[in-house]
Amino acid sequence: MWSVIKSVLAAFFGVQRDQQRREDFEHGKPVSFIIVGIAMAMLLVALVALIATLAAG
Amino acid sequence: MRTLLVRVAAGLTLALISPLVLANGWNMPIGVTALSREIHSLHMTIFWICVAIGVVVFGVMFYSLFRYRRSKGAEAANFHEHTGVEVLWTAVPLLILVAMAVPATATLKNMYDVSDAEIDVMVTGQQWRWRYEYLGEDIAFTSNMSTPREQISGEAEKTENYLLEVDEPLVLPVDTKVRLLLTADDVIHSWWVPELAVKQDAIPGFVNENWVRIEEPGIYRGQCTELCGMDHGFMPVVVEALEKDEYEAWLAERKEAAEQEAMGVDREWELAELMERGEQVYGSICASCHQADGSGSPPAFPALAGNTDMLDDVEWHIDTIINGVSGSAMPAFRSTLNPVEIAAVATYERNAWGNDAGDTVQPSEIVELLEE
Repeated sequence: MWSVIKSVLAAFFGVQRDQQRREDFEHGKPVSFIIVGIAMAMLLVALVALIATLAAG
Repeated sequence: MRTLLVRVAAGLTLALISPLVLANGWNMPIGVTALSREIHSLHMTIFWICVAIGVVVFGVMFYSLFRYRRSKGAEAANFHEHTGVEVLWTAVPLLILVAMAVPATATLKNMYDVSDAEIDVMVTGQQWRWRYEYLGEDIAFTSNMSTPREQISGEAEKTENYLLEVDEPLVLPVDTKVRLLLTADDVIHSWWVPELAVKQDAIPGFVNENWVRIEEPGIYRGQCTELCGMDHGFMPVVVEALEKDEYEAWLAERKEAAEQEAMGVDREWELAELMERGEQVYGSICASCHQADGSGSPPAFPALAGNTDMLDDVEWHIDTIINGVSGSAMPAFRSTLNPVEIAAVATYERNAWGNDAGDTVQPSEIVELLEE
């Protein structure tokens, strides 16, 4: 789970280590990346909205 | 050698750029409001950040090209990836962007804060003029370009404020927060005065807000900056900022003039005075399409000189001015012109350029028509 989160974070940032990518393709299941990816995208939107609200308030 | 090269490159770049930046007319103006100064300093901050990035990036690039050239026996490195460098070149721009976004957002927030305005002015874009309405003051007028057509066609020498002068400027007091409510009657226009750092779209069916608090009395000029049709270039914006007491005097004068005009509605007007008034109205409102000599530009803009439809049917003539012609370029002037102006311009059109209807259209008739 932690490795899935790390990989999704790396994807958000745009940089991934080659070694980690190999491991993901050998051991990971696509569905777990999709679910964690969507969840974290929603978190990111919520975070940006929160910052914007704080900045405007 | 290395540092010397970098220094020379950086020095040359700065020497090239700085006169351009500081030269009057090349850069955006500092302006005469606190907000315009804030926007200018934000613009300069971001400009210098861009200059620094440019100098570093191109400096490294040209230095590398020179230092590691093949004639000196340089070998190309052959590696696939480097996570550390990739993280660095992603994180550094991210930090720079955030550093620029923080002051930019603060300025934007300030720009949109129209609260606590002391004066509200409705600004309406029309093809091709601006209309200003002082809300709660019962004062409204249109502001038309006053540059003579001869200057545009090259038959007369162009004067200093060519295409940037109007018959009636928007008059505002200094040190007073003024809220501008912008909209349009026909197509999208945009109200722009660089010195006031205001550039806001005027969109039919929407009301956009902006505000200005001018600190120095003076005349500030701008233009419509959204392509809005044939005479887009001929609807300038002029703002005259007055000291507060002068503004109050101007306001009182305008109100008195409006009352005089309202009284003029009831009395009988002579042909000559209607003609005189009508010529002014025609020159500022109608001449841009129908031409100063009434010859028009058929078929889009019919000639008025010798126009028998118009001369034979006064009711149709007046109705056309008041309500426009739907589906054509002729707008309705019901809300743009007052009854005296409509009566005067109709009378003028019926008796100018060889037209000899000989009749007058009285303001009182227009009032009745407008009330229907």
